[in-house]
Amino acid sequence: MDEFQEILQDFLVEAFELVEKLDEDLVELESNPEDLDLLNGIFRVAHTVKGASSFLNFDVLTHLTHHMEDVLNRARHGELTITPDIMDVILESVDLMKQLLEQIRDTNSDSGIDVAACVARLDKITGGSGEFETPTAAASAQEESREEENAASEEGSSSEDDEEEIDYENMSPEEVEAEIERLLAQRQEEDRKKREAKIAAGEKVPQMPNPDEEEEKAKEEKKEEEKVTPAPAPTPAPVKQEKKEEPKAAAPARKAPAQVEQTIRVDVKRLDHLMNLIGELVLAKNRLIKINDDVEERYEGEEFLEELNQVVSIVSLVTTDLQIAVMKTRMLPIGKVFNKFPRMIRDLSRELNKKIELVISGEETELDKSIVEEIGDPLVHIIRNSCDHGVEAPEERVAKGKPETGTIALKAYNEGNQIVIQIDDDGKGLDPEMLKNKSLEKGIITEKEADTMSDKEAFALIFKPGFSTAAAVTNVSGRGVGMDVVKTNIEKLNGIIDIDSEVGKGTSIKLKIPLTLAIIQALLVGVQEEHYAIPLASVLETVRISKDEIYTVEGKSVMRLRDDVLSLVHIGDIFEVERILDASEHAYVVVLGLGTSKLGLIVDTLVGQEEIVIKSLGDYLKGIEGIAGATIRGDGGVTLIVDVVALMDIAKNVKATTMTEAQEGGASKEKSQASDYVIMIVDDSKTDRTIMRKALEPMGMTLVEAGDGQEALSILKSGDYNFDAMLIDIEMPRMDGYSLASEIKKYNRYKNLPLIAVTSRTSKADRMRGVESGMVEYITKPYSSDYLASVVQRNVNFKAEFL
Amino acid sequence: MSDKLKDIINKQSQQQDSVVEQLDDVVQLVGFMIGDEEYAVPILSIQEIIKPFSWTRVPQVPPYVLGVFNLRGAVIPLIDLRLKFGLSAKKHGEDTRFIVMRHGDDVAGFVIDRLTMAIRIKKENIGPAPDTINGDDTIIDGVGKQADKIITILKVNKLLERDF
Repeated sequence: MDEFQEILQDFLVEAFELVEKLDEDLVELESNPEDLDLLNGIFRVAHTVKGASSFLNFDVLTHLTHHMEDVLNRARHGELTITPDIMDVILESVDLMKQLLEQIRDTNSDSGIDVAACVARLDKITGGSGEFETPTAAASAQEESREEENAASEEGSSSEDDEEEIDYENMSPEEVEAEIERLLAQRQEEDRKKREAKIAAGEKVPQMPNPDEEEEKAKEEKKEEEKVTPAPAPTPAPVKQEKKEEPKAAAPARKAPAQVEQTIRVDVKRLDHLMNLIGELVLAKNRLIKINDDVEERYEGEEFLEELNQVVSIVSLVTTDLQIAVMKTRMLPIGKVFNKFPRMIRDLSRELNKKIELVISGEETELDKSIVEEIGDPLVHIIRNSCDHGVEAPEERVAKGKPETGTIALKAYNEGNQIVIQIDDDGKGLDPEMLKNKSLEKGIITEKEADTMSDKEAFALIFKPGFSTAAAVTNVSGRGVGMDVVKTNIEKLNGIIDIDSEVGKGTSIKLKIPLTLAIIQALLVGVQEEHYAIPLASVLETVRISKDEIYTVEGKSVMRLRDDVLSLVHIGDIFEVERILDASEHAYVVVLGLGTSKLGLIVDTLVGQEEIVIKSLGDYLKGIEGIAGATIRGDGGVTLIVDVVALMDIAKNVKATTMTEAQEGGASKEKSQASDYVIMIVDDSKTDRTIMRKALEPMGMTLVEAGDGQEALSILKSGDYNFDAMLIDIEMPRMDGYSLASEIKKYNRYKNLPLIAVTSRTSKADRMRGVESGMVEYITKPYSSDYLASVVQRNVNFKAEFL
Repeated sequence: MSDKLKDIINKQSQQQDSVVEQLDDVVQLVGFMIGDEEYAVPILSIQEIIKPFSWTRVPQVPPYVLGVFNLRGAVIPLIDLRLKFGLSAKKHGEDTRFIVMRHGDDVAGFVIDRLTMAIRIKKENIGPAPDTINGDDTIIDGVGKQADKIITILKVNKLLERDF
């Protein structure tokens, strides 16, 4: 029983593989009915399945495939021309065959599916009952094709192939029997020779023939008898020879055994886990690079830096390679999806009475497994649409002077970090005016929107739910659902849809999809003190604009971008960012593209491009609008990732806010005593701080000390004190006086805070820098206590009565 | 060193034996202050207690969800219990801690004002929550009676439940 199961499994694997290829071949056959190679190939499939199923006692399947074989055999011998009608029947039988195989896979039995009708139709083609070809003839032909295949596909062919062909057709059953015996003996002889050779080569090989093997051979023999075929039908001869070396050789299956298996089946979960680990590694790498930069800055010119640099770059290089390698293990050729389309086009063109040819290219282009799984449905919808609405009926095409047969080209290719799938048809094209009118009719857009719409925007209307250009709902399309599905699915993959069309010439739809989902390239943007990551796949471009280039139309911000009007939204309005920094005259606009829509996102700064690993926010925070997840940056902080799809939705409801508004930081309270005045002293030298303290203490002001710029900034930001002035040294570790001053001046509420430089730098250039960074006074060391006190008094408007 | 350790362990086990007869009847809690109230959660639900560090604000959440922070590679939400319990916000100081609690797969960090102590309390000394706040929705598991004070014991699963 176990052995039976094993054989059955192998049979199923082989049969499904064969059937998958069958669909493709059959459609091709229809366009090239004369192609003998194809016919032979197809016949072989039917025959192989028949042979194996009869051996495994699947009577229904045998019955069906037997009749298929008959039809195909006639075609092969030129007694029958494959017409579309005949092809319909054949395809139907192939479908039935698939059903039967699935049934067998699920239940181990092929009963319960009625094949009688189909068989009758197959019979009709071959000219009614009784007129079956003799199986012998079929067998010999099959042998022929086998030989062909062997010659073509197997290098170093076995002696089998060298043998002259024997005319089995004219043999009597006894002779056939003898021939089988002869062949078997010959093969055993070869095996023995091989083994001896191996032993001679010092290899250990089990001497005794495996009992299973013997049994298997007996069965094989029996099967051969059944079919009266001297060559083992499902298993090319070399297979057996090799297989005997393996202890458990059995089962007629698999080709190309000449080498040990080149592939390993791996659970997807393991790959996912590997991918996660790589993700962590990428994060660590980012962090390492960041630290390296910091160290470089601090220990400039040190010798060990070079070594560190080398290590860091090697780590980062290897990590990147590793990531690509792991990503590749998850890649599948897109051909897996494309394969089903020839059949679909064929069925559709029959159904719609159109002549359509499908041209596929780039099917070897590879995509992440998860994306390959998602991309199938959208493509089906687009292609159905092209068939139904794009390509015209043959008469119409001829009238227009086009070739009678319409062409749909399906191609895939890489473009940078994206893969592009392009679907072109040479049909009637999209008419923007007609699209607008239809949408108006259905109430999808308003009159006003229709007037301002560009052609591209009009094309995008076909993706609106409820939109359909078909006058009547047909079996194929017209419900207005399909293209909406396309848009949703592509957007889910962070993809972009681009439509181009010319009336009368045809339509071209491009789907641009990122290669993988887990680790992505992102553009990091800054708004106030926060950072956000935007998937680079959705970023079309970035532009720097000045504030007066932003116009307000009906409460929404817009700008002109070349010939288009781009609606704008400030990232701060979407994510409720508090405006604490002073608004600058300039801003950056990140132009986001998704599906067919565009949006300009106003940000304060562009930080740069980085590779980020998407992490979920967890159950507690999931479903936050506009946030797709988070990532951990090089500095260990968390940065949120923008969900571009949701952002576009939110943007529709966000009103423009004037960007300069900011509340004036609570005007300094009336001072009632000297200690209400608070001064911060920033200097890295304790002595210097003490000197300043000594100078100011007599006045009774409150003094706060900070050891460097960063400390000063965090004290300031903590809001514990309301400072009236700051005394700042220039030369300081971590953050120097100039940077501190410019940082402080970014904040609105410190705009009027007097910053006084206290330094030993005396050059004019230093003074200029001081002024540029926002210092109001410049005191050079050494200074007298009185002078310092008076400068401070002047700057804080110290009331004379407290003296 | 190891002698010392043994001593301590011995002492602890003696304490354990003398103070409580049967471990089953005892609940181990970690107490902390929020405002003027002392609260406690079961010690086993605490993954770790850390000093405050920087976090990232998350938009469109109630004020008591401060944001998310990076705990050794995991992104974890940070919840301010002062704000959650209706108190005013307070700057994080020397005593402020993040308590990372876990219940099943849910993890979150909670900001508390100050840790008090690890508490062993007999089950019989834990009373139900007052009637007025009883029900399935309450985050109060019960009230632990100590010699000189009472401690509110919180339900960790409720704390980790999203309620917005």
